[in-house]
Amino acid sequence: MSWSDLGTIAPVVASVLVAAAILIVDLALPNRRQAIIATALGGLGIVAVVILLQAGHTGSAFGGAYSLDNLTVFLDMIFVAIAALTILFGVDYIEPRGLPIAEFAAILVFAVTGAMLIAGSTDLVLLFVALELMVLPGYVLAGFARRDPYSTEGAIKYFLLGSFSSAILLFGLAYVWGITGTTRVDGVTAALAKVAAGGSIQPGLAMGLAFMSAGVAFKMAAVPFHYWTPDAYQGSPTPITAYLSVGPKVGAFAIALRLFVGALGPLRADWLPVVIVLAALTMTLGNLVAISQDNVKRMLAYSSIAHTGYILVGLAAYAGGQHSGLSAILFYGAAYTFMNMGAFAVVAALQRRPGVSSQIATFAGLGRRDPWLGALMAVFLLSLTGIPPLAGFWAKAYVILAAVQAGGWLTALAVLAMVNAAAAAFYYLRVVVYMYMREPADELRPSSPGLLFRVGLGVTCVLTLVFGLFPAIAAAATNAAGVFGG
Amino acid sequence: MSGSLDSYLVLSGLLFAIGTFGFLARRNAISMLMSIELMINAVNLTVVAFGAFVPALNTHAAVIALLVIAVAAAEATIGLALVMAIYRNRKTPLVDEYDSMSQ
Repeated sequence: MSWSDLGTIAPVVASVLVAAAILIVDLALPNRRQAIIATALGGLGIVAVVILLQAGHTGSAFGGAYSLDNLTVFLDMIFVAIAALTILFGVDYIEPRGLPIAEFAAILVFAVTGAMLIAGSTDLVLLFVALELMVLPGYVLAGFARRDPYSTEGAIKYFLLGSFSSAILLFGLAYVWGITGTTRVDGVTAALAKVAAGGSIQPGLAMGLAFMSAGVAFKMAAVPFHYWTPDAYQGSPTPITAYLSVGPKVGAFAIALRLFVGALGPLRADWLPVVIVLAALTMTLGNLVAISQDNVKRMLAYSSIAHTGYILVGLAAYAGGQHSGLSAILFYGAAYTFMNMGAFAVVAALQRRPGVSSQIATFAGLGRRDPWLGALMAVFLLSLTGIPPLAGFWAKAYVILAAVQAGGWLTALAVLAMVNAAAAAFYYLRVVVYMYMREPADELRPSSPGLLFRVGLGVTCVLTLVFGLFPAIAAAATNAAGVFGG
Repeated sequence: MSGSLDSYLVLSGLLFAIGTFGFLARRNAISMLMSIELMINAVNLTVVAFGAFVPALNTHAAVIALLVIAVAAAEATIGLALVMAIYRNRKTPLVDEYDSMSQ
């Protein structure tokens, strides 16, 4: 280890220090919520600056275990944005329930540190440790409202299936390492390139790769590995659901980018059918089940499964030989992050006062009761549907375009993605209909969220619009970030 | 067969399979947690076996095994804390009865 190594991983170090600072401030100044929130948001701002200072640089640290490139910078920025938005949305929801704000912020920043470490990992063991650093705080966050039966129930299901999938991933990792003799992603790439060049693949190596793929599919909630998702998302406190639906998901796709694109790159023709089937199943089943949900949180949980499917279309396009699939994945990940967090944030705003349910009836008449919240929810839902000129439209357009350009079976997958997008309009627009065309059953007071909350909603809404109106700006960033590894 | 790498891999594969079966078949949250621990320990046995029989992997194996032990300990801590939290709310460790959200 040298000082330059520490410089390369500076964002991760800074992020750990922010989490520690939050805990120290809480210890030194008990019950000073402003100090804690200022430390968390200010600290994340500093982390963002540190990341931006690295933009354009490339390098590697710790003997090739961590690599700094455009992809690392791009993903790190998304993760920091996720953390900051979650804190903005969380304060207003956590405090009325008497939950500790400092612990919430610190655990969240630790989780995001893990996600940032994933973004730069080019070593299997580092990837696993970073993954665990991301998901273990996630289990705690899911069960954060520990007296709420739903929260603990969601958390235990998330934990049991999450640890189960980690064990599967680890088993695969042990075999890949044992047979290729290296934990570096480029070492595994070299070993697999020999296989692709005509050598036969050893059964143990094939099994290891299959186990690792299944583990990653669990983490990204791809069907048939999605069972934990609805309960974990529905049970968690709503701002934490907003985090869980984007943070660990983008993190899982970061693993996929580092692992599949890097290590499995030489064999991509072999895993193409698997990704096509996963993508088709994931988006179709997610949408079909979402249609029948009356709870908006649960509906958004299934919709997030469907969105995993659309992102997998981008991965399939890459496997089909279309390199633009990678930048399409990144664009989708960024657009999905902001529109989906926004949608969950509106639900969180309505549930600010304890006791308000996330049933669709709560949304009846929202357009008149809270015109701003209603309009924002409409923007986020239309974006999730994929209506131009919003972020979700371009996200779907890039993914589908990449698939069509790859041709073959991917054309059929692209058609299925479009059919799915049309079917998804039904359940997204149903909420819009409730907000503007239904009379509320009982008179609820306007929810009037606090300043931090409104800032967060404004940021997500502006980003959803900017990604939609000026896709070229974001596409320039994702195109730069999409050039890495294989 | 004893004394070869294969026999240890078969043993750890069996342990992993037993853990997987236990996770899928047991309905008690604590038993499921124990099954996960068994799976992770099976992985550790795999790692250590590779390290013992392949000289080039020897040093790697010790480091990976230690990291896995540390991660497994963290996981068990969080798991037990969550089981205790839900037991206080529900008074049962049986996951079948944690079904208040499914419609």
